[in-house]
Amino acid sequence: MKHNIVFAFSALALAASLSACQDQAGGGAAGGARDQIRAVGSSTVYPFATAVAEQFVQANAGMKSPIIESTGTGAGMKLFCAGVGAQHPDIENASRRMKKSEFEQCVANGVKEIVEIQVGVDGLAFAEAKNGPGFQLTPELIYKALAANPFGKSANTAQTWADVDPSLPKVAISVFGPPSTSGTRDSLAELILEKGCQTDPAMKELKEKDEKAYKAACTRIREDGKYVDSGENDNLIVQKLAANPNSLGIFGYSYLEENRASLKDVPLNGVEATYDNVASGKYPGARPLYIYVKKAHVPVIPGLQQYVAEFAKSWEPGGPLAKRGMVAASDAARAKSAEAAKTLPVMDGSYLK
Amino acid sequence: MTAPVPSPQPDRAPTDWKGAAMQKRIAARYSAERRFRTLGLTAIVMSAGFLAYLLISMLHDGLAGFTRTEIAMRIDFPTAPIVLDPASLRSANADAALASVNWQSLTDQAAQENLGKDSIWLAPSAWVAVRDAVKHDPSVLQKVATLNLPASAELDLAAKSDGSDEAEAAYARLDKTGLVHRAVNWSFLTASDGTDPTQVGIWGAFKGSLLTMTVTLLLSFPIGVLAALYLEEYAPRNRWTDMIEVSINNLAAVPSIIFGLLGLAVFLNTLHLPRSAALVGGLTLALMTMPVIVIAGRNAIKAVPPSIRDAALGIGASPVQVVFHHVLPLALPGIMTGTIIGMARALGETAPLLMIGMRAFIASPPGGITDPATVLPVQIFLWSDEVSKGFVEKTSAAIIVLLAFLLGMNSIAIYLRNKFERRW
Repeated sequence: MKHNIVFAFSALALAASLSACQDQAGGGAAGGARDQIRAVGSSTVYPFATAVAEQFVQANAGMKSPIIESTGTGAGMKLFCAGVGAQHPDIENASRRMKKSEFEQCVANGVKEIVEIQVGVDGLAFAEAKNGPGFQLTPELIYKALAANPFGKSANTAQTWADVDPSLPKVAISVFGPPSTSGTRDSLAELILEKGCQTDPAMKELKEKDEKAYKAACTRIREDGKYVDSGENDNLIVQKLAANPNSLGIFGYSYLEENRASLKDVPLNGVEATYDNVASGKYPGARPLYIYVKKAHVPVIPGLQQYVAEFAKSWEPGGPLAKRGMVAASDAARAKSAEAAKTLPVMDGSYLK
Repeated sequence: MTAPVPSPQPDRAPTDWKGAAMQKRIAARYSAERRFRTLGLTAIVMSAGFLAYLLISMLHDGLAGFTRTEIAMRIDFPTAPIVLDPASLRSANADAALASVNWQSLTDQAAQENLGKDSIWLAPSAWVAVRDAVKHDPSVLQKVATLNLPASAELDLAAKSDGSDEAEAAYARLDKTGLVHRAVNWSFLTASDGTDPTQVGIWGAFKGSLLTMTVTLLLSFPIGVLAALYLEEYAPRNRWTDMIEVSINNLAAVPSIIFGLLGLAVFLNTLHLPRSAALVGGLTLALMTMPVIVIAGRNAIKAVPPSIRDAALGIGASPVQVVFHHVLPLALPGIMTGTIIGMARALGETAPLLMIGMRAFIASPPGGITDPATVLPVQIFLWSDEVSKGFVEKTSAAIIVLLAFLLGMNSIAIYLRNKFERRW
């Protein structure tokens, strides 16, 4: 009998502590309102979002610092689209546009009013070590070197870059790049691999006929160790390149900018990865960065509107975000985004893919 | 009549210790002995070497993170274009009064006057230091003050001889004028996360770790000890207790990320506790730590001699009195050892905390266990991924703080353990 009493006591203690926690939480964040902004999403946008958060606190005395979580674009979309309410984030940082399926998920969970704002451009940079072989690449060559089945044919057998194209140096293919969960990887597929793939007209036809087969042929990356997933940590890729001078690295443009001392960029189509070339879109590896704001949260969460406005103040060329390695969008895109930051128009999602 | 005692076999020759074969066998024995000792010594030297390498490289990289480069700046407050009544700074709404001043332009202007074109080497957020100096001592507003403001991350790196060419040149130039100097970076210990490596600090993550560990300890220690006591002293030996025993042993070996998923599913998705809070982190880590405490506790309780129990029962103590007056105090040092191991593991844990959203940019230290917080290992992980090069030494410095925290926690536990230790 006594045994049971002791056991029941410990069970009771656990239950009591749990419910006590819940009471506190009710007053804190989960049940009622929240007095600070929460953002989730891309690790690429994270450094810019945190910089804006810091400015936001300094410019608005008494505001609490926004909480920004780096989850990756895809995982962030899931959290963002989970619903409306204090326990769900207010802002999603995205290194690519929202997908149609994600928008539908949002709407299904009651997140109907979403504001899309482009905050800038990020270059997907191809780089090698300072003492590297000096690659000159095109999307087509990269596709041929990295695709699992180039142009939907048999498995990729290229061992050295010279196997891909005789003009390239005869060094083994070794590429460090983002893993498949990363928004950077989506950009690599969309901006480089698909373009390289479409140099074959047969692939364009395939796209119209069989979307799935096209995706498999054009965006699947070989898994025989030539392409090495290097995690979300782009600094790791930088370090690996320094140690393996014959390798090629793929990461966000800001990391290239910060590590120009040890790395050099690899020109694509003869265009170098400079600030101007990325901003103007001449460099093939440029992609837009977005933030998505829940409009329903704007009147409830204090400072949300000001935070978005702070973003608009910072994205000018030569502004604070540019200093951190973000590339400012074109004048027209910036004007449109500034307008959106002010009026917060709800997007209808019809143009999403 | 007795049978004759059988004599030992007479044809067995006595052992010839001097013989060549025997000498060879003895030599082989001795060399096996020596070999084993050398191997053992090598293992010790190697592990000590790894530890020394870790500590030395950490200290080498990290100690610089506790210092920063400062530029002495003369600011003429009386002539500066600011309207600020020192009396208002002593009143309750000092922060509002401070916020009304454009400190950035004030600092920029002073930097222009003091440094000319080298003003770019002042930290972008140096104005925060100016504001804090005024807040700390409003009387500086009436005089020409010389403030030591933090230099930018590039100049800081150059001062520690690892910067770009321009920064190195600028540092040499400024060093000649005597304006720059190295100073201990106290704000590293008092500030929280930020985006400028010269401004970041470890206090937010430290406090987050402290809160998380407190929740973990308060939950896992009593539950773990009670579970161990029940299983050892009260539980009947049957199939059910066997099953519980096996489950607890298995639980201790479950990878930590699984506990993170459990925490996400139970505490966040079902109980709707706040995301990123130290409370949820502590609950999750308590689940992870508890089995370790149960196992260590059971072993410690088992090691208490049965004679103690028998004696106590013999002079009329009730079973509960036996447990709480005799068995538990004697087992406590052993339980404490298990708790140290479990807590040390929990302190260094990152993976489960990523799942429950503690991997976030949080610029203010948590006020309580329900506030968003991060912990030291996650902070280290976040900084290692930062773009700016100034974060490299901050990462190492944060590791030193984590190790110091760990050492502090363990020494308290070891002190308590030795205090309670009893021999019989």
